[in-house]
Amino acid sequence: MQTADPPPPAVCIRDVRKVYQTGSEPVAALDGVSLRIDSGEYVAITGTSGSGKSTLMHLIGCLDTATSGEIAVAGHDVSRATSDQLARLRNRSIGFVFQAFNLLPRLDVQANIALPLVYAGVRARERQRLAREAAAKVNLTERLSHRPTQLSGGQCQRVAVARALVNDPALILADEPTGNLDSANGADVLRLLSDLHKLGRTIVLVTHDPDIAAQAPRVIELCDGHIIKDEKS
Amino acid sequence: MSWWAGLLIGLQEIREHKFRSFLTMLGVILGVASLIAMFALTAGIANSWRNTMQQVGGLERVGIVDKQVSQDKADLAALSPGRTLADAEALKAASNLISHVAPELSAAATLSAADGETVSCRLTGTWPDHQVVTRHQLAQGRFITSLDVDRGNRVVVLGNKRVKELWPDEHDTDAQYVGRIISINGRPFTVAGVLQLYEREEDKQARRIAQEGGRRPGRLAIASGMGRRDPFRWKNDSVIIPLTTLYHEFRSGQLNTPPLAMVRLDQLNFRVRNVEQFDEAIAKAESLLNRTRRGMDDFDFDTREDWFERMESSLRATKLSGGLIAGISLLVGGIGIANIMLASIAQRVRELGVRLAVGARSRDIFLQILAESTVIGVIGGFLGLGAGILLLELLGLVAPLESPPVIEPSSILISVGFATAVGLLSGLYPAWRASRLDPISALRYE
Repeated sequence: MQTADPPPPAVCIRDVRKVYQTGSEPVAALDGVSLRIDSGEYVAITGTSGSGKSTLMHLIGCLDTATSGEIAVAGHDVSRATSDQLARLRNRSIGFVFQAFNLLPRLDVQANIALPLVYAGVRARERQRLAREAAAKVNLTERLSHRPTQLSGGQCQRVAVARALVNDPALILADEPTGNLDSANGADVLRLLSDLHKLGRTIVLVTHDPDIAAQAPRVIELCDGHIIKDEKS
Repeated sequence: MSWWAGLLIGLQEIREHKFRSFLTMLGVILGVASLIAMFALTAGIANSWRNTMQQVGGLERVGIVDKQVSQDKADLAALSPGRTLADAEALKAASNLISHVAPELSAAATLSAADGETVSCRLTGTWPDHQVVTRHQLAQGRFITSLDVDRGNRVVVLGNKRVKELWPDEHDTDAQYVGRIISINGRPFTVAGVLQLYEREEDKQARRIAQEGGRRPGRLAIASGMGRRDPFRWKNDSVIIPLTTLYHEFRSGQLNTPPLAMVRLDQLNFRVRNVEQFDEAIAKAESLLNRTRRGMDDFDFDTREDWFERMESSLRATKLSGGLIAGISLLVGGIGIANIMLASIAQRVRELGVRLAVGARSRDIFLQILAESTVIGVIGGFLGLGAGILLLELLGLVAPLESPPVIEPSSILISVGFATAVGLLSGLYPAWRASRLDPISALRYE
């Protein structure tokens, strides 16, 4: 009996450098980082401000390309991808959860959740169905026709999580998802992420807070563009 | 993302900011409204001119007018007998190209009816062809015939207004005038026919409204009180008798009157058989007249073609100036759209960042902004169309127009098309700017 191929690693980074030209002095935000995140892992990336964790998140999130080195996301080499190819990868393989929720205020909850599907070319009826499914996973079925301004912060972040889930991505990338929430709602969102991990989702959580990072089974700490710690609990 | 999705987002954006969108559209609305109004007014003028021209004889009618002979023949000018019946007879020879010839003599006269009023008028003596050349329609009786001309019969055909002047008390529209005897300069004439009442379309309408009970008396009062030139007045004022009758009764008695064949005609008009052979007919007429005029080029042709050209060129000038004004307001409208779109992009950087993050390509963003500005242009175009129609209605109420405006489908198409193009073009730059946004900085934008 033939077994199915194991899924490709969610993220595979080899010797990546990212250099920003600020003024006359080039600054290396990442300086030779190598990293592998397997499918189904829950990883927290942490570090102080300026450690390079945001830059790493942008590269993993296909929002930017590296100066040198190789990056593969969900099996796709993105080191030299064009902006259209990056957009396609963001659309199909990555779900973002931001600190500031970043919901579109003029769209209702259902349309916000369905937004990635618009750019994936999914038909309206199918978008509705998938958005309802995703909303059910975050317990927001009753709020589908509300606008973000009518929701609490915790509810907004759950909408954002549903939006990140809707296109069944290889990787959910949460950037300080609890930063704008009180501790109760923050804990709620972290529990949601943890639940999703238990269901087999790959989750990358970026945070400056070591306590929050400690909730993830694997913690990667960055400092001055280098990985200084990579621990599995 | 499809155009369709872009359009939906654009519509949503406009619905969210109704007032701002309306202000944005205002320039386009005004531009389209003025385009529509200008097109409709000029089309109305053109229509009424064409109508009038048809009624006074159409393109086929040509008049022969006097002209100064060229310098080298000036001392021989007296050789030419001028415009005489010989010309008319000569023109009849070219019957394959010229269908009707109508020479005219005229004289001042006093008409009086035994049971009515006395009126002074201008008498026209002519041939039966006159009816066709000037497109006379009879309301009663008959026109003068060649028998009348041969015998010099004392018969008269009266214009509609003349009948009303002679017998003002007879309001009955069914009154019969044929067979009545009137006196022209003291000589008895039998009324052979009465011409139809000629009036312009708008006068007809005004009369109808007045008859229905004067629901819009203001408009009628202004329309009839302005003393505008009525192009059909000469037709309604006609008093027509046979050419020979006029000559024998009112001319030949006077001193130094030349014989009929030598009398200078007051007018000589003819009708071209076929407009397609217009130039051949004119050339033929010219060669015929050269012979009767003994080589003197003391004549010219007054054609409706000249008239038509004058009309067209004046319409073109009106259209150009109107189009310029409308064009400028559309341009201003376009700048307005571009300006608002740029401002709205600046306001929505973060939204665009989110769209980019979830997978929008730069061309999707481009399309979205372009669709939005195009939708503004299209809606502005249709609102402008409505505003233009309203403007014309208003204009008609305040100051009645000599020629009712006509909104042609083509002008609607052009106006709304222009508005769409303005929306599209003015969205190009903002859309390009938006599509160049970098997702990371857009997401960080505060």
